[in-house]
Amino acid sequence: MSKKEITITIDGVECRTWEGEYLLNAARANGIFIPAICYLTRCSPTLACRICLVEADGKRVYSCNAKAKEGMNVVTQSEEILEERRAIMEVYDVNHPLQCGVCDQHGECELQNYTLELGVDSQHFAVPDTMREVKEWSTVLHYDAGLCIVCERCVTVCKDMIGDSALKTGPRGGPAVDKAYKETAPKDAYAMWNKLQKSIIVPSNGTEHTNCSDCGECTAVCPVGALTERDFVYKANPWELKEIPATCAHCSSGCHLYYETRFTSIDNHDEMIFRVKNEWNFQSLCGAGRFGYDYENRDVTKDEKAFAKAVEALKKAKTVRFSSMITNEEALMLQRLKEERGVRLVNPEVRPFQRFLAAYAKAAGRSLYGSDYKAIMQESDFVVSVGAALRNDNPNARYAFNNVQKMNKGAGLYFHPVGDTLVPTFGKSVECIAHKPGQEETALYLVLDLFADRENLPEYIKTYLDGFHETRKRTIKERVMKEVVEKVLDKESGEENEVKKKVPEMVEKEVEYDHNLLVEALGGDPVAFADSFEKMMKKKSSFALIVGEDLYGHPRWENLAKLVALAEKHCGMKLAMIPPKSNALGVALICDLDDSAEGYTVGYNQPGDFRLSALGEGDLDMPAMNQQEGTMSTMNKRVVPTNAALEYGGYELNDLMNALGLGKRLSVDWTAELPVDKGFQAVEFDDLSDGFLNDGTEVRGYALTAFKSRPSAAKVAAASEEAVLEGEIAYRCNPQRQFNDFTDKAHQIFEAFALYASPEKAEALGERVEVVFEKGSLLLDVVADERMQGEIVEIPDFKADRDVYGLFGESRYANVTIKKV
Amino acid sequence: MDGYIIATVIKAVLVLSIIAALAGFGTYLERKVLAFMQRRLGPMHVGPYGLLQLAADGIKLFTKEDFIPSGANRLIFMIAPMITAATAFIALAAVPLLPEFKLFGVTVKPIISDLDIGILFVLGMMAAGLYGPLLAGMAQNNKWGLLGAARTAAVFLSYEVVTGLSILAPIMIVGSLSLIDFNNYQAGGMGEWLIWKQPLAFVLFLIAGFAETNRTPFDLIENESEIIAGYATEYSGMRWGMFFIGEYANMITIGFLASLVFLGGFNDWGFLPGGLAIILKVSFFFFFMLWVRASWPHIRPDQLMWLCWKVLMPLAVINVTITGFVMMV
Amino acid sequence: MSLEQFKNRNVGTQNYTMLDLGERPKTGWDRFKQVARRSVKLELFTGLKVTFREMIKALFMGEMHTIKYPFEKLPISPRYRAIHEMKRLLESGHYRCIGCGLCEKICIADCIRMDTRYDENQRKEVSEYTINFGRCIFCGYCAEVCPELAIVHGGRYENASEQRASFALFEDMLTPLDQLNQQQEFPGFGAVSPDADKKIKKTPLAY
Repeated sequence: MSKKEITITIDGVECRTWEGEYLLNAARANGIFIPAICYLTRCSPTLACRICLVEADGKRVYSCNAKAKEGMNVVTQSEEILEERRAIMEVYDVNHPLQCGVCDQHGECELQNYTLELGVDSQHFAVPDTMREVKEWSTVLHYDAGLCIVCERCVTVCKDMIGDSALKTGPRGGPAVDKAYKETAPKDAYAMWNKLQKSIIVPSNGTEHTNCSDCGECTAVCPVGALTERDFVYKANPWELKEIPATCAHCSSGCHLYYETRFTSIDNHDEMIFRVKNEWNFQSLCGAGRFGYDYENRDVTKDEKAFAKAVEALKKAKTVRFSSMITNEEALMLQRLKEERGVRLVNPEVRPFQRFLAAYAKAAGRSLYGSDYKAIMQESDFVVSVGAALRNDNPNARYAFNNVQKMNKGAGLYFHPVGDTLVPTFGKSVECIAHKPGQEETALYLVLDLFADRENLPEYIKTYLDGFHETRKRTIKERVMKEVVEKVLDKESGEENEVKKKVPEMVEKEVEYDHNLLVEALGGDPVAFADSFEKMMKKKSSFALIVGEDLYGHPRWENLAKLVALAEKHCGMKLAMIPPKSNALGVALICDLDDSAEGYTVGYNQPGDFRLSALGEGDLDMPAMNQQEGTMSTMNKRVVPTNAALEYGGYELNDLMNALGLGKRLSVDWTAELPVDKGFQAVEFDDLSDGFLNDGTEVRGYALTAFKSRPSAAKVAAASEEAVLEGEIAYRCNPQRQFNDFTDKAHQIFEAFALYASPEKAEALGERVEVVFEKGSLLLDVVADERMQGEIVEIPDFKADRDVYGLFGESRYANVTIKKV
Repeated sequence: MDGYIIATVIKAVLVLSIIAALAGFGTYLERKVLAFMQRRLGPMHVGPYGLLQLAADGIKLFTKEDFIPSGANRLIFMIAPMITAATAFIALAAVPLLPEFKLFGVTVKPIISDLDIGILFVLGMMAAGLYGPLLAGMAQNNKWGLLGAARTAAVFLSYEVVTGLSILAPIMIVGSLSLIDFNNYQAGGMGEWLIWKQPLAFVLFLIAGFAETNRTPFDLIENESEIIAGYATEYSGMRWGMFFIGEYANMITIGFLASLVFLGGFNDWGFLPGGLAIILKVSFFFFFMLWVRASWPHIRPDQLMWLCWKVLMPLAVINVTITGFVMMV
Repeated sequence: MSLEQFKNRNVGTQNYTMLDLGERPKTGWDRFKQVARRSVKLELFTGLKVTFREMIKALFMGEMHTIKYPFEKLPISPRYRAIHEMKRLLESGHYRCIGCGLCEKICIADCIRMDTRYDENQRKEVSEYTINFGRCIFCGYCAEVCPELAIVHGGRYENASEQRASFALFEDMLTPLDQLNQQQEFPGFGAVSPDADKKIKKTPLAY
C-alpha cells in the first residue's frame, strides 16, 4: 500500500494529502472544518448522517466517503450545502428531548454543537414520537434510546475497531415519516430521516444484553447522551470535570486517556475521578482503561514510623521484587539501587521478555522490534499472530488485528492453542490454527514457509522447509461439461431432430498437490488450508507479525527469538511484540533483572518480607499510577508522559531513595537520566509533549531509538517437540478487563479471580476446583467463558499475592491436575 | 440665719437635682421633637414611648469606660467637663425660678440668692463656662479638640459682647440688675412686657443665646461634619455627659433669662398663674431651640463672626444709643 | 444619551439646567440690602413653618413614616433578590429542580453545589443542594438561568444566624409541603417575560 502525495484544493486552500485519502480526513489534517456526525477516523464510513456533504469538482459527494484525487477542487460550503445540512440538523432535532441540562452529555454534545453551528433556529418537520425504553445493556453500559440519534457510531466502532460487533440497528416501531415531506424537505435530509425514524440501536445477539468485552468505547464515541457509562449516569456534569491527560497504566498499550476529576460531593471536597475519556478518533480504550480508574491509594498520610522501617528494610534487602506497573523513573531508581547497593532486582513478569528481546536484538541486529501497532493498523493487510491470546493479552493488538481485517480488506492468521470464537469473526479471511502448546516453533516455521522470499533464505532453512513439502495425490470431484445428443420430436413436422446439449457432470479425478506437513503438524488440514490461504493471499502486499508472551517464557525462547528475527527479515513483515505487562518494555530496557530472589526481599506491589504497596495494605504506602507523574514505555515503542490525577499525601519511592542518599528532588527529575544507550532521550519531563495532532499524528513524548548492530550469524535450530504439552493443561491468562491488582480494585470491573474454561469444559469441571501444579495448588471457582473453545483452562495472574508466576514457572502453559472440590 | 442657710442648701439641692434631671429629660425631648419634625417616632422601645431611654442612656454613660488619651493633660482633661456643668448650675443661683409661694406657712422665695447684680452674675457665670470647652479641647491632645477649643474661644468671646450689649438697653430701662426687679417692672400685664419696648434687644439676645449655648445653627465648636466632635472628641462616659448636662442647663437658663427680662417673668398672665406662666415660657424657648435645630442649617465660622461683629454688635450699639436718647428725652 | 456626551468632561458645557437664583450681591451695600430684605421678609420663619407643619402632620394626621422594623415590615418588591427559594410543582409536590447544574455553572461566586444521582425512576435526582451564603453575592443569575423556575430569589433578607449553613441546604430552601398551597409563582428576576409567547417560533407538532 504505497502512498502517493498529491495536492488538492479545499475552499481555495492548497492542501497536501495522500492519494485515496478521504476528503474529510484530508480537510481535518489541514485544519479545515467539515461537520460530520457519523464518521470515525479509523473506521469505515457509515454514511448515516450525510452532513459532511461537499462539492468536489462540481459534484456533490460525501466527504467521509469520497477519495482525494490529484488536483481535486473541493468546496465545503455553499448556500445549497448549508441548506441541506441545516435541514439534516433539524431532522436530528425532531423529538429530541429538550431537557439538555439533565443529560450527561450537555456541554460536550455534538447535537447541541452542530445545531448551533449550523444555525438551526426553527423546526419545519414533525413526526409522532415513539416510546423508547432506557436499557441497561451490561454491567457498565447504559443506553437511553430516547436520546439516540442513530448515527451508528457505536455500531461502527464496535465492529471496525473493537471487533466485538455487539451492536446493530434494530427496528424502532412507531409511525413512518409523512410522505408529504418528500416534496418539501431537501433530498438528503428526507432520505436520512426515513432511515433514522425506522431504527434504534440494539445488541446484535438478539437479547436485551450485549455480549462483549465491556470496553465502553461505544459510550465514548456517542455524540449525544444516549450511551453512557452506567456508573456516571446523572452523577456529575461534564463541564464540571477537570481533564487530566494521562497514560493508562494497566497494560503495555499505554493508551492516552483523560482522567476527569471533580470534588467528590458536597460533604467531601477531595478530588475524585468520575470517569475516563479518550481521544476516540485516534485511540481506543479497553474496559480496563475506561473503567479501571479508581485504584488510587486513598487517604494516605506520611507515616514516619513506617517510612523509617522501610528505609531499614531497603538497607538490609538482598532482593527487590517489583511488578511492572511502575514508571520508567521508578524503574531507573530501582536500577540505581542495584548499582549502588547491589540488591537483586526480580520481576517474573518481565524477565522472560527481557531475555527474549535481547536474543531477538542479537539475531536481528536491531535493539527493538521493527514496527508498531499503529503502522500495522494503517498499512498492513495481512496479520499473523503467534503466541498471543489476542482477546485477553492486549486490547490494542487485538484492535489492530481486527481493524486490518475491516479497514484494509485484510486477512489474518491466528496461531494459538486456546480456541477462541471471537477472532474468526473479525473477518472472512481469518484462519485460526489451534496447535498444541509448545509448537510455536513449528508455527513460526510455517510462517517462514508461507511468506518468506525463498531465494534469499539461508540454504539450510530452505532445505529444512522443503522437507515439509510432499507431493501427494488426492481425488477431487470436478465438474465437467459433457456433450449429450438428445432426440427431440418436432411437433409441426413430426420429425425427430438431434439436438446437442451440454450437461454438467461430476467426475472424480486424481490430482497431485503440495502436502504441507507443517500445517498437519499444527493440527490443520493441509488441503483446506492451502485453499483458503490462496484466497487470503489475493491482493495482499503488506504483512505483519504479532508475537506474544507465549514465546517469551517458552522453554526454547532463544530459538524462537531467532526465528522471529528471521521471519521479520525474510518475509518483509512488520514485526510487533506484545510486552507482557504495563511498563514491561521500560523495565526490560532500564533494569538489569535477576532470575531469582534471594535473602531478605522487599516487594513493591509484590509479595515480600517488607511490602511497599500502592494497594493500601502494605507495610508502607506508595502512590498508585494515577497519583504519580512520570513516563511509561508503550508497546508502540514510545516514551509517554503521565500526570497525577489525584492527590497523594504519603511517601513515594524517590523519598526512600533520598533517605538512602540516592534520591533527587522530584521523581520526574529522573526522566532526563533515563539511559540513552538503551534508546531513551535525555529530555526533562516538563519538556515532553502530549496528545495528538488533527491528522492523528501522535506527539506524546518521544519514540525510543532502536540501535543497529551486526546480526549474529548463529543458526536457527530445527523445531523441537520437547516443549509440547499433552494432557490437562492450564494457561496463564487474565480475563479481558483484568490486568493486575489495580484493575481488580476498580469498582466497575467485576471479572473474578477464577478458572476460566470453555462452556463445555466448565460444565464438566463443576463449580469449584482445585488446580494442582508441580509446586503447589490453587482453589478456584470455575467460570465459563463463552468465547473459549477446547480443553485448555485459563488461570489468571492479576493477583500478585496468589503467586501464579511461581506456580507456572516461566512458561505460560503448565500440566496440571484439576480436582473437583 | 440658720434657717436661711438650711433653706438655701435645700433650694440649691432641689435646683441642682431638678434642673439636672430636666437637662437629661431635655435630651429625650430633643430627640422626640427632632423625630416628629422629620416625621419619625424617635425613641420608642425603652419604657412607654421610650421615656426610660433617659435612664438607659444614664446607665450607659455611667458604665462606660472613662477614657483618657495618653498624651492628654490628665488633670485639666478631667476637670474641664466639671467646669461646664458647674458654671451652668452656678449661673442658675441668681435666677428666680418661680413666684413666691407659701409652704407650711413659710414664705418661700424660689431663688437661691437674690443678688442685686443678678443678671450680671448669670451672664458672668455663663461666660466663665467658656473655660470648660476651651480647656477640654486644649487638654486632650487631639487636633479636632484643639480646633474645637479655638472655635470655642472665638464664638463665646464674640457673642458675650452681643449678649451684654443687647441686654444693656433693658437694664437701662429697668434701672436694676436684679432679675426680681425685672420681673416686678413687668407686673402690669402683657402690655408692660419689655419685649414691646425692646424688640431688637430681644432678638439680639436670643441670637446670642443660641451661640452661648452652642446650639444649631451656631454649634460650630463641636460640628460633627467638620471637626468630629470638636472639644468633646476624646471624651466618653460621664465626663462627656457632663458637657451635655451643662449645655442643657444653659439652655434652660437662657430660657429663664429671656422670659424674665423680656416676656414678663413669673407674673400672672391673664388667667394663668405666674408659676405656670414662666414654666410655659421657658418651655417655649426650649422647644424653640429644638425647632430651630430641626429647621435651619449650620453656618460657617466666618459667617458667624461676620454676623456677630458686622451685624449684631452694631445693631446692639445702635439699640443702646437710641434707648439712651429716648430715656433722656 | 450617546457615549460622547459622557466622555465630555468639561464641566459646564454639558446640558445642565441652570436654576434662577437671582444675582449675587457684588458690593457691600448690595449685601447689606440683601440682609435687610431677607430679615424683613422673615425668610427664616419659612423654615420653621415647614418643620412645624411636618410635625403636625406626623403627630396628628397619621403621616408618621417610621416602620417599627422587627415588628413591622415593609412589603418588598417581587424583584428583590434575597435568600433563594426552591419551588415545588403544584400538582405533585415534587421539587422542580431537575439537577441540570446550570445555576452551578453560571454562578460567578462559585457558591452553588449539588449532588445528583440516577434514581429508581430513571430520573436525575438531586440528593443534596447547597448555596454558600457566605459567598453568594445575590446577583440572581441562578434564578435567571434556571430552565424550570425552580430556584428563585425569595424575600427572606434577614440572614443573620449562628451558622451560615442554617438556611443553605436543599430542605431549608424548599417550599415546605404543608405550605404548598401558598406557594406563589415568582414574577421577578428570571421569570418568563410577559411577551414570551410573541418571541417564540412555533414548532410543528405531529399529534
